Amino acid sequence: MDIFIKIAGALQDWLMNGMGLSVTASELIATAVWALVAILFILVNLIILVWMERKLGAFFQMRRGPNRLGPAGFLQFPVDIVKVLGKEDIIPAAADKPIYKIASICAFVTTICAFAVIPFAKGMVLEDLNIGIFYFIAIGSTATLSLLMAGISSNNKYSFIGGMRTVAQMISYEIPMAFSLLGVVMMAGSLRLTDIVEAQQNMWFVIPQAIAFIIYFVATIAETNRGPFDLAEGEQELVAGYFTEYSGIRWAIFFIAEYGNLVAVASIATIMFLGGWNAPFGLTFLPPFLWFMIKVYCMIFMFMWVRWTFPRIRIDHLMHFGWKFLIPVSIANIMVTGIGIYVYRMITN
Amino acid sequence: MLKTQELTLNMGPQHPSTHGVFRCVLNLDGEYITKVVNHTGYLHRGLEKLAEARTYTQFIPYNGRLDYCSGMMNELAYVMTVEKLMGITEEIPERAQYLRVIMSELQRIASHTIYVASFSLDIAGFTGFMYAFRDRDRALDLIEAASGQRMMPNYMRIGGVAADVDENWFSQLQKLLDDMPASLDEYDGLITGNEIFQARVKNVGIVTREMALDIGFSGPNLRASGVDHDLRRDEPYGIYDRFKFDVPLGEQGDTFDRFVVRIKEMRQSVNIIKQAIKDIPEGPIMAKVPKVIKPPVGEAFHCIENSKGHLGFHIVSDGSTKPYRTRIYSPCFVSLGFFPIVAKGQHLMDAVVTLASIDIVLGEVDR
Amino acid sequence: MFGQGLIKGLGITFGHLFEKKITQQYPEERPVLPERFKGSFSLRVPKCIACGLCSNACPNNVIKIESEKDENNKKKLTGYKMMAERCLYCGFCVEACPTKALLWNHNFERAKFFREDVNLDLFNSYVPSPEDEKPAKPEKEEETAKPEKEEETAQAS
Repeated sequence: MDIFIKIAGALQDWLMNGMGLSVTASELIATAVWALVAILFILVNLIILVWMERKLGAFFQMRRGPNRLGPAGFLQFPVDIVKVLGKEDIIPAAADKPIYKIASICAFVTTICAFAVIPFAKGMVLEDLNIGIFYFIAIGSTATLSLLMAGISSNNKYSFIGGMRTVAQMISYEIPMAFSLLGVVMMAGSLRLTDIVEAQQNMWFVIPQAIAFIIYFVATIAETNRGPFDLAEGEQELVAGYFTEYSGIRWAIFFIAEYGNLVAVASIATIMFLGGWNAPFGLTFLPPFLWFMIKVYCMIFMFMWVRWTFPRIRIDHLMHFGWKFLIPVSIANIMVTGIGIYVYRMITN
Repeated sequence: MLKTQELTLNMGPQHPSTHGVFRCVLNLDGEYITKVVNHTGYLHRGLEKLAEARTYTQFIPYNGRLDYCSGMMNELAYVMTVEKLMGITEEIPERAQYLRVIMSELQRIASHTIYVASFSLDIAGFTGFMYAFRDRDRALDLIEAASGQRMMPNYMRIGGVAADVDENWFSQLQKLLDDMPASLDEYDGLITGNEIFQARVKNVGIVTREMALDIGFSGPNLRASGVDHDLRRDEPYGIYDRFKFDVPLGEQGDTFDRFVVRIKEMRQSVNIIKQAIKDIPEGPIMAKVPKVIKPPVGEAFHCIENSKGHLGFHIVSDGSTKPYRTRIYSPCFVSLGFFPIVAKGQHLMDAVVTLASIDIVLGEVDR
Repeated sequence: MFGQGLIKGLGITFGHLFEKKITQQYPEERPVLPERFKGSFSLRVPKCIACGLCSNACPNNVIKIESEKDENNKKKLTGYKMMAERCLYCGFCVEACPTKALLWNHNFERAKFFREDVNLDLFNSYVPSPEDEKPAKPEKEEETAKPEKEEETAQAS
């Protein structure tokens, strides 16, 4: 586990002493390397996730899924990426070109930024901010902007409606998501993600915060635009929603960002509710990092299972569900948690 | 000063959920529809005119191209009309009559499963689509074994059917019938019972009893609106009067009723086929009809209960080998008239569901 | 209770997760085609009497027959082309053939790169086989075989 920290330390040492760089410069370079690692991490996960989504979707439907390239079709996605890279980059004549071009990159950048605070294991974190979860929520909400940019700049009616829906949906579901996390924060007494994980050594927060966990689960499906809340894309009525006009690598970047977001929210769910890298039942024979990834993938399996089972919800039902059900319940959850903590402190003191 | 204005959206002809090449121009106020204009004709092949240039027999395979989800029943409607014109309705051999019923009910199952599939897909339930297609494929395999083709069977003949089926075929059919109720329960569990699905389809696109009659709905759409009318029972053609089956009815005529009525109808179709294979006699499958069919001068109209509604053929004969005029009364085209009326004021997402719920096949709408 | 249907649906999909897959792995796994499957056409040239019934039965004038009269004033086939690009695959020609010279075969892989390649030249592509040389015999066999089969099925039922 410490190997990553040691590598980082050695790298910085080497930069400072070996290359003779100043502390600031060496830290900058080390951070850049970490950022690259984060991108690589997303890409590696992406390959696994796309393969997993295709396979699971196929298995739920009694199909076989991709099985031609590589073992069990594992190399299908890398080949797809090569195909996408070779495609023509079509920009509609009437599009708002600068915004159109930058939108997909914006979506990707917000995804990478979210990975900055996620601790994969003890010490294995890019920047252990003391307001980590707050930072995550803040970065998550900027993703809305890129989708809106894509929707409006395409100058396509379907994209436009898709962009509008995205804003409405993501803004409404950020509130219950943040509120559901608040209960955990209250119990852990810290906004720092590593502290929250440390606080779960004896009991995962999914047990006392089960309601919050379910709210978070539902809200994140909406946040990541996955079925049954994939209204922004809404294939049946909006063709492909905000990225109807996108093609080639620009489209692929949206795709990558979407799956990157999926990993990010699943990681946060793991950290906040499922004990992070802590091994369950004292089964410590696996390294903490692996435990973390297993939990993340269990969460992702749940996301995919739900996606391949349920039909899409209607937008006004979505809004009603968000504002009239999830938000009141999450507020009530905060209240109950607060009272619980107060009572607990009264008893223990 | 910003102005608000309505958005005109051309939905189709290339659109994932217009079931082919149907185009409708929607006026949108936000995401709510204020006006709908239907545009059909993108798949027009002039089948009625083609019929005039072909002999009576030669037009049979074209019927599979009408409503390509229920080829057998289209052929049956055409063939029965020609038989009526020739006055040989009573001469059709028993075995052929039974085979016609079995095939058309099998095709009804295939057609309704595709309805379940596409409806499920239109609310983004892709898994339901696959499950329905799995069962449809088995029905199509049987049709293929009997006729040689899956979707354009060309199985019905004037005076009977093209080919007989053997014991092995019946045992396969029996297996399908045994598995079908479980599959239908699966659709019920996955789609019908799902709360998200119910929220999407209940109280959406309501067509009241009066509206349904005014528009000219027929078949399952009409029954979903609560009108108890089924040609198979009320004006039995062929040997449908020998079978006992229920006619499922809807309550308020919303999209949910239209969906549920079709699932119930599949159960009844299974029921009918079971009765038919119990009673089917041995014997010839073709009546003695002349090789060159020359119906007497006159005209005939015959209407059958297709999977989509009443499919009727009106054929005028001038005594030659080719019809003077063939007119196809297609249920989908008539049903489609409800869309501008019902979709007004709906949400865009509901409009897609509403359009999907009447089970249109553009091959039949445009002919 | 709200959510019961949702959980039931999740259960159904999970039940299928580990089920046997029903996809047919096509190029490796050949489809099992029924006997009557309408794939492509094959013509047993020696049997053909160039009567033209198939061409008459065709709704789309797909079949072009060329024939010449030999010394006994008997028609002899010299060309048999099918414009398969506008063929409906209805099978009226096969049904019309009085000598069972025109038959369906199970070759369904008919996709071609160019439109003209779809057309069939059944006369020139004919590969002689010993069975076809004796036109009378197999037909009789078929005729005698058929009633037996029917009897068998009648007995079985």
